[in-house]
Amino acid sequence: MAPNKLPASLKATAIIGDSKAALPAELMSLLLDYLPVPALLRFAQTSRRSREMVYDDSRWVRRLKALGVWNEAEAQARRRAESEARKSAGKRPESALFDVEAEQRRMRGVTGMGRGAVDPGFENVRPVFEPVAGGVDADPGAALTVLARVQSVRGRARQEFGKVYRVLAPLYLDLARARSHSDPVLFRMYREPEQQAAMLAQLRTFARCDWTQGGLEREEKVESMVGIFENAVLREFERGIEEGDVDGRMRRYAHVLVALNGGAAGVDFYIQNDPLMARGVAGLGDPLEGLRTAAAGMVNLGPVQAFFRDLARALNEQAGVIDRVFPVTVDALKPFVERVAEDIIAEYITTLFDEAHEQNVEVYLKAVAGVFEQALRFAISLKPTQASPPSFAQDVKAIVARCFEPHFDLYLQEELDYFQRKSDADVAAWKRRIAEEAASTESFYMSNVSRQAAKADFLSSFKKVVMLPVNALSTLPTSFAASKPADTPTSHPSTPVPDRSSTSTPIPVARPQSLAPTTELAAKVAIMTSRLQGISSLFSIELALTLVHAAKASLERLATFVSLGGQSGEEAREQCEAVFVALLQTLGTGHIKAGFDRAVQHLSEYKPREMAHAEDGGVEPLVTFLELVNVGDLIQQMVDVFYAQELVAPRLCDRDDFVSPAAQEKRRFEQMLDERVAAGLNMGIDVLMDEVEYLCATTQKPGDYNPPAGEMVTDLGPSECARRIVKVVEGHTGMLVGSTEKGVLDVFNQEVGVRLFTVLCKHLKRQRVSTEGAIKLISDMNCYHDFIRTFKNKSLLQYFNAMRELSQIYLIDARDAKEIGTIIADSEKYGGIFRAEEVYEFAERRADWFTVKRDVERAMYGMGCAVM
Amino acid sequence: MSATQKLTLTSSDGIDIEVERKVVERSVLIRNLLEDLAETATLEPIPIPNVNEPVLKKVLEWCEHHKDDPVSMGDDDSDSRKKQTDIDEWDQKYMSVDQEMLFEIILAANYLDIKALLDVGCKTVANMIKGKSPEEIRKTFNIQNDFTPEEEEQIRRENEWAEDR
Repeated sequence: MAPNKLPASLKATAIIGDSKAALPAELMSLLLDYLPVPALLRFAQTSRRSREMVYDDSRWVRRLKALGVWNEAEAQARRRAESEARKSAGKRPESALFDVEAEQRRMRGVTGMGRGAVDPGFENVRPVFEPVAGGVDADPGAALTVLARVQSVRGRARQEFGKVYRVLAPLYLDLARARSHSDPVLFRMYREPEQQAAMLAQLRTFARCDWTQGGLEREEKVESMVGIFENAVLREFERGIEEGDVDGRMRRYAHVLVALNGGAAGVDFYIQNDPLMARGVAGLGDPLEGLRTAAAGMVNLGPVQAFFRDLARALNEQAGVIDRVFPVTVDALKPFVERVAEDIIAEYITTLFDEAHEQNVEVYLKAVAGVFEQALRFAISLKPTQASPPSFAQDVKAIVARCFEPHFDLYLQEELDYFQRKSDADVAAWKRRIAEEAASTESFYMSNVSRQAAKADFLSSFKKVVMLPVNALSTLPTSFAASKPADTPTSHPSTPVPDRSSTSTPIPVARPQSLAPTTELAAKVAIMTSRLQGISSLFSIELALTLVHAAKASLERLATFVSLGGQSGEEAREQCEAVFVALLQTLGTGHIKAGFDRAVQHLSEYKPREMAHAEDGGVEPLVTFLELVNVGDLIQQMVDVFYAQELVAPRLCDRDDFVSPAAQEKRRFEQMLDERVAAGLNMGIDVLMDEVEYLCATTQKPGDYNPPAGEMVTDLGPSECARRIVKVVEGHTGMLVGSTEKGVLDVFNQEVGVRLFTVLCKHLKRQRVSTEGAIKLISDMNCYHDFIRTFKNKSLLQYFNAMRELSQIYLIDARDAKEIGTIIADSEKYGGIFRAEEVYEFAERRADWFTVKRDVERAMYGMGCAVM
Repeated sequence: MSATQKLTLTSSDGIDIEVERKVVERSVLIRNLLEDLAETATLEPIPIPNVNEPVLKKVLEWCEHHKDDPVSMGDDDSDSRKKQTDIDEWDQKYMSVDQEMLFEIILAANYLDIKALLDVGCKTVANMIKGKSPEEIRKTFNIQNDFTPEEEEQIRRENEWAEDR
């Protein structure tokens, strides 16, 4: 479009004239962004307003930002410092866009050099650009770092950009125009590959601010040049590798590659050409060897360990080489480790795990946890290079852990499933066995044993065992990594010890020691079991132990993964809780609850009169039940110890976290136990009282309290009946000591006492008591009283006090019948426990009642008491 | 509301132009307007007070051609957008109009908020400026030179670094 053919309307409204602009300033400003730099600056020469627009600092700051050399913080700091300085010196601001005076001064100053005024920004760089002839700067060395030398100064962005543009633009445009890779001036100007690389890297950056039309093509061109150059360097690098010239060629070209584009290609190339990669998994041993050489259901971790050891050695050698070849700015080891992890470790473990999974779930679980632990040790044993960041150890751990990620979900699921299946199967098998044996008699009675002592003893050895790691993976080669802890305890009977015969691994010395507490526990279990024969049909402490062991094995395997942290660690931790919850459910609902329910059922069906009575005076189902309470308590304590040791101590679970599923399930478990115990005790009291009533009915001889006339009372002790009752009640309440909370025990005793009192009153009202027999009765009452005193329950004792006193009314001679009436009328006498009517009823049981009745009643009414 | 629904625009000189909804929605201004309006209100002619009929028709011609382009949402990095595209053939032909019309299109595109059209317009103008001397630029755009010769010379020297060598 010819300029002289401007339409009339446009002439009237010139774009940027003194008159109204055809395009508003914002559009002009927008439009300027589309101009290449030379055109932009020519535009600035057209008028003052144009210049103002073009010189606008933000326009140039944007370009510097695109180059990635603008530092906002630096600019602000500089500005602040300047304004401070200006304030103190009282100078005029230097950032005035156009300062005639200053320019004139400058002009005078530089005319001697044959140059016109140059604006302030160029003053300090002038020496570098002085010889402009030939289009290329004469100081190529300084030009190599021009980008790095850019300063962030507000108000000077254009000048700073100018410095860069002046150096890079010619080379850039030249490169973009070049037809072959030998063409560009750049390669003639710089001979050393290091310099060429540095300049190419700058030009790549420079292309980022070339956003005018055709910029895309130019950038591509530069990229392709960089690519060609890179390939050439890589060839040299390769020759270096072939020749094994670590400190010469390899080192040199690695540095060139880093200068060019960070060296990613060089690192890649290096990794790919590494003999370790070339060998692959096959070079480091057969993944399946560990499965083949192990006995059924086990994994031999020896080969796995050898594999990791070799790998670690190879990698540590590599770290040394990498240190020599690559500059410290490039972390070549990490990508290397990543590749090793992806290509070698991942393949190795996938092969191993897949095979193990097909063989047997248990083997799989052990393999995963075992190999994982080995892998972590491997990660620890790697040495960082100089270029490695401080986080190297974590990085490597994360890389290794990533290899396991694909297996992780399956593993967690399998672990829980396996545990659940196994524990369910155990419980089911036990139930089947019991059903078969159901017919056989249940002998019981755990007497003469201090229950509390036995339990404390048992628990202490249980605790010892729980604290031992139960892992099959603890084969601990100290030679493998010096940095790992040496206190690895080992095998446990419940988990197979890996067959180490095929490897050179020394058998851990810790073994015999670790066996001791275990065998001790086993012995105690046996003792306990034999003592608890009676309840073996209800539930088994042995089974509970087995379950706890299985859970512990699972937990320990899972716990290795918790150390991973992050999401995987959290998942593993949740799975730990899930295992614990599963344990409690199986143990609680599946096992203990069923046992208790059956015991309670037995209790409720108990009819003392229909049963043959054992001489020792135990009420069979009640004894069974009370033993059950003991064992339940024991198991609960076991669970508690387990929880503290396995979940709280290793921080898998927070004791104070009330919403955690493990804590909730544990509470539910305890609550269930308490409920069963309470229900059973309730039933137990009924049974016990039935028994007492039965004893009253069957063993109390009519002559006990009313000896035939003439027969002298020779035996002054309590009657047979009283002795047996006390024995029965004492025997049963005693069993509970130490097995339940004191509160429960007190309530139980109180209830037993009150019920016993009622039964005895009822019993007494059926007897006939003569004055002679009263002595017997009183000694019976003393006997009961003494027994009740052992409960140390004050209110209960009052009842029996009253009863003891009451029995004295039988002692009163018939001649003193009036006294009887007085006593009956005295409502205060028995502390309010017996009302007068009741006392009257008791008095009726006197053998000579009909003879004394009149006197008694008269005495009563004579006293003016309204009794009847 | 179908995309083929017809709408009526009224230009600044009072002429109604019927156009497909989808076409006119190239304009972010109108698209937003339609989104805010009730269904029935779109039956009324929409006044476009800043654009006269010839320019509006020209702009709609462009919109018609580009109606199936993907709508660029939000203003993504404007620098990269500029960098990416060369003017395609159809747009080049479309833009071969006299300078008055070119500027009118740019103004209308700016007013109606049609980014891509504004982009093409700016590029076209940039091409006109490229390679011209300051004097030629002044002539093209009818800019008054208000520099003294010394000032002009100084600016030239100041920016010598940018000249192609």
